[in-house]
Amino acid sequence: MASQLSFTGFAWKNLWRRRLRTFLTLVGITMGIGAFVALVGFSRAFEHEWLRMYTSSGIDIAVVQSNLLSSSIDESLAAKISALPDVAQVAPMIFNLMDLTPEVNALVYGWRANSFEFDSLTLLSGRRFHDGAPEILMGDLLASNLQKKSGDTISILGTNFTVVGIYHGGTALEAGAVIMPLDQLQNIAGMEGKVTAFHVKLRPAPAGEAQDAYVKQASAAIEAVLPDIKAVPAAERAANNQLVDLAHAVAWGTSAIALLIGVLGIANTMAMSVFERTREIGILRALGWKGRHVILLILAEATALGFVGGMLGIGVGWGALRLLSTLPQTASVVSASVSPWHLLDALVIAIASGLLAGAYPAWRGARLSPVEALRYE
Amino acid sequence: MSNPIAAGSPILEGRGLVKSYDEGRVEALRGVDVKIDAGEYVAISGPSGSGKSTLLHLLGGLDTATQGQVLFKGSELGEAVDLDSYRSRRVGFIFQAFYLLPTLRAIENVQVAMLALHEKANHRAERAAALLREMGLEARMGHFPNQLSAGERQRVAIARALANDPTILLADEPTGNLDSVNSARTMEILSGIREQRGMTMIVVTHENDIAHAAPRHIRIRDGRIES
Repeated sequence: MASQLSFTGFAWKNLWRRRLRTFLTLVGITMGIGAFVALVGFSRAFEHEWLRMYTSSGIDIAVVQSNLLSSSIDESLAAKISALPDVAQVAPMIFNLMDLTPEVNALVYGWRANSFEFDSLTLLSGRRFHDGAPEILMGDLLASNLQKKSGDTISILGTNFTVVGIYHGGTALEAGAVIMPLDQLQNIAGMEGKVTAFHVKLRPAPAGEAQDAYVKQASAAIEAVLPDIKAVPAAERAANNQLVDLAHAVAWGTSAIALLIGVLGIANTMAMSVFERTREIGILRALGWKGRHVILLILAEATALGFVGGMLGIGVGWGALRLLSTLPQTASVVSASVSPWHLLDALVIAIASGLLAGAYPAWRGARLSPVEALRYE
Repeated sequence: MSNPIAAGSPILEGRGLVKSYDEGRVEALRGVDVKIDAGEYVAISGPSGSGKSTLLHLLGGLDTATQGQVLFKGSELGEAVDLDSYRSRRVGFIFQAFYLLPTLRAIENVQVAMLALHEKANHRAERAAALLREMGLEARMGHFPNQLSAGERQRVAIARALANDPTILLADEPTGNLDSVNSARTMEILSGIREQRGMTMIVVTHENDIAHAAPRHIRIRDGRIES
């Protein structure tokens, strides 16, 4: 059987002949796509975890001051919210990110012992804490990382707390967290009489009324009795809080820079390749190759770089996420779960990067005059 | 696909061909009229820089004239006849420097000429193999150009020129890089091909033996035809 030469085989041979350059270009695009998968994957997973947390704990509305990072509301306002007819329960809470050890920081929640938010957690050992006592509950992921169990103590901001229970939560934001009595967190954080937010659980929607409309109507009622306070439906709050926005911005910004470097790498490789192969392109043109065939060949090479770099980048990025999700320093906020759509996005971006980077060299190659290209030394 | 043309009818014609470079400061051709009949074997000779290769490039559609026309079967190249299609289907080029692609094996170098046409991969491979067998290169099909002798490389280039079954064979100093033995063999192969296939063949050469062996010999000097 005679050896067959295909168009893609020819493109592959052209890349293979400059192995080192091809390898270095692949490293560039792999790093770019890896950064995209890891960082944007992290920020999307972070948002998803927030949503899951709100959903699983039965929160319908988050009542905050202006934004999540600096929200500070009088705890006493809970009574006004509770008095509204559609409100079933109100859980005042504080949310904070604290250093538990020099290496490990974690989310710390302040809840009341009777908060409905406990309903979504499973107590694995010990008991629920008592309000007013220096006691905490610890998520199983964090307890594992810190090697803590029920009965152990831990110092947080100079106060010793007893771990009275270990719980399992459905999200990394819960499993990697500490929950302590609201009053205790108010004391150590200097927030006496203040809370970060009220989480509101509504009564079931009346028959025939759409849940979304019901939640929006209840939110409006809360805002009516509490001027300067925002009542945000939980799903909206998960997607549009400042932590998630910040994570998205950092992820996209960093990924964009990394991707730009990758694209420039492919563009440089293809431009050099066209320059070095000027005479060869002249030969192909002399053999009757049309300009569009030359464009196709160069774009096929650039796309192959994008595709292979994309696949490698997906592996690297996913691996990085999995690693981060196991490290004590990051486990509380990083989830290893990545949506297949995110991976598809990464591959599409990688291939599009290849096409973009190859466009100019391809155009230049196609415009070469056959006879001028053949004369090229 | 154009109609076949009877031997003896004009297949290729240059009318008033002028080719200048460097904004007109250098004139490689200064008004050349030439008519080539189908099946004809023509040698073009002349001193270095006389314009013989330029004329071949214009006739082969590799370049366009500054003034004048090239007609293929009466239709103007670049106007009625698309240059790329003309080069891929109507003419086969053979160059002094062979111009094989270094990363491709001999058989792949022949197939690369067929990649631009819509033909099945196995047909391309079979045809390339058949042409290389015809060139006596059956045992060298899997070799890269740097593993072949100069004579073998030129025979691969001839096979490549024949890949798309052209009607015109254009050879620019085909023996320029060959020793006398390989020169003779190459010219023997080209003559055999022309006779067997009834092809039109134009050979640019500075070697008198080759020029005189052709039934028709065009001498060119300073961009003009002398005889």
